[in-house]
Amino acid sequence: MATQLGFYFDQTRCNGCKACQVACKDKHDLPVGVTWRRVAEHGGGSWQSDGDTFSPSVFATYMSTACNHCERPVCAEVCPTTAMHQRDDGVVAVDDDLCVGCRYCEWACPYSAPQYNAELGSMTKCDLCTDYREEGLEPACVAGCPSRALDWGPIDELRERYGDVDAIEPLPDPAITEPRLVITPHRDAQMTGSGTGTIKNPLEV
Amino acid sequence: MFTDLSMVVFTVFAQMSVGAFIVLGAVQVYARVQGGRSAEDVDRVTDPALYAVGVTLALGLIASIFHLGTPMNAINVLRHVDSSWLSREIAFGLAFAGLGFVFAATQYFKWGSAALRQALAALTALVGVGLVVSMSMIYASLDAVPAWSTWVTPAQFAITTLLLGSLAVGAAFMGTVMWRRRQAADEEAEEPTTDAGDLETISTSLKGIAVASIVLLGAAFVVIPLHLNELSQGGAAAVASAEVFSGAMFALRLALVFLGAGLLGFFVYRFAARMESNPQPLAVVATVAFGLVFVGEFIGRSLFYESMTRIGM
Repeated sequence: MATQLGFYFDQTRCNGCKACQVACKDKHDLPVGVTWRRVAEHGGGSWQSDGDTFSPSVFATYMSTACNHCERPVCAEVCPTTAMHQRDDGVVAVDDDLCVGCRYCEWACPYSAPQYNAELGSMTKCDLCTDYREEGLEPACVAGCPSRALDWGPIDELRERYGDVDAIEPLPDPAITEPRLVITPHRDAQMTGSGTGTIKNPLEV
Repeated sequence: MFTDLSMVVFTVFAQMSVGAFIVLGAVQVYARVQGGRSAEDVDRVTDPALYAVGVTLALGLIASIFHLGTPMNAINVLRHVDSSWLSREIAFGLAFAGLGFVFAATQYFKWGSAALRQALAALTALVGVGLVVSMSMIYASLDAVPAWSTWVTPAQFAITTLLLGSLAVGAAFMGTVMWRRRQAADEEAEEPTTDAGDLETISTSLKGIAVASIVLLGAAFVVIPLHLNELSQGGAAAVASAEVFSGAMFALRLALVFLGAGLLGFFVYRFAARMESNPQPLAVVATVAFGLVFVGEFIGRSLFYESMTRIGM
């Protein structure tokens, strides 16, 4: 098997500025409503009381997510046309000539990676900026992050360098799709399944 | 509400078609084995309903095309039969439509022996079951959607299939009786156009349909609270999706199915016993029962699509 590519996200560096999201949208000329990379704010907490003193005990973390080019791409498994497919380098992409625009992949993906473009009548998604990479450039989101919170590369190398954490709220259980994603969690990050927070900007993601 | 209208129409119509086809098969078997009637006699009762099944299925399949963003690529949906339940659904759907069409043609032209046609009908019914199974697996296999990935999805699809199928056949039988009566009246014919044996078969069928619809109503009213209970104990996405199953539309759905299948089902049974003297009350009740349950199930399916809340982000 050829080298399999993936993303790295350093949550300790992310301040939720969404430059990655905008860089992606700009690079791919995405219409309103189609946002391949999105940044969720996950927050929660409550008050602690100590006698008559109440002090806040709250948290907020950011999670930047695009397609994770999963080991088990459910979007490609369920696609009736084979338009959604995985390339040799692990990148999951849509073949426009085959896509029928049924949106079944959209239902299947817990990361909202495949998104419907009504103008095209077909599904679209992150292809890890294939054209940029061929020119020797970095994917737009990685290059656009002002705090260097994103990286990409062969997933083996990313895991060697950064570890193998990928189950952080508000992401889903990684057992479903086995994402090629590595996260350095924020000190307030919560493991998937034992989170107490909610997504604070649901309309943005 | 009704955001996935084409999907609602397709799934409800296709399931109703499969259910009606199976119920017509049951009527055939029962009338011939228990009633001792000939194939030709029973065909006279079931054939008009059979043709209506074909029209219903065709409408459903046409509606499904409106769901597609690029309908010109529609043929591609058969490419991934080895992995995608959606491909399998369309394969079963087309096979059911194709076999059903051939079967209807052999019935209309009386091609082949009755035994051969029965074998074809049995095969068609089996493919129809495959259609409903693959249809429910499309949703039940999605780990990302807690409201769908449960045993409740195939259970509810099976109930809709049989409930709407039964009541549709009941309404079609009575529609045929009334239409033939009116024709006879117009032509001032002395002979009734629906003979006594046929009326006996229809009366027995409607009693069976009434019992079936009441039993299926009971099943539906067991499955629905179990589904809500399951969702309430799930994660945040499951709890959020359960919110769809509250409010006026959900209440209306329950009320319509209860009135149609339960209350009117009871009257269908009562009136079926004395339809020979005057079939009109039975025709009205059977038709209204079907209409109420159809609307109820239609709303129910819309809510089903609305309950699509995914886990993750």
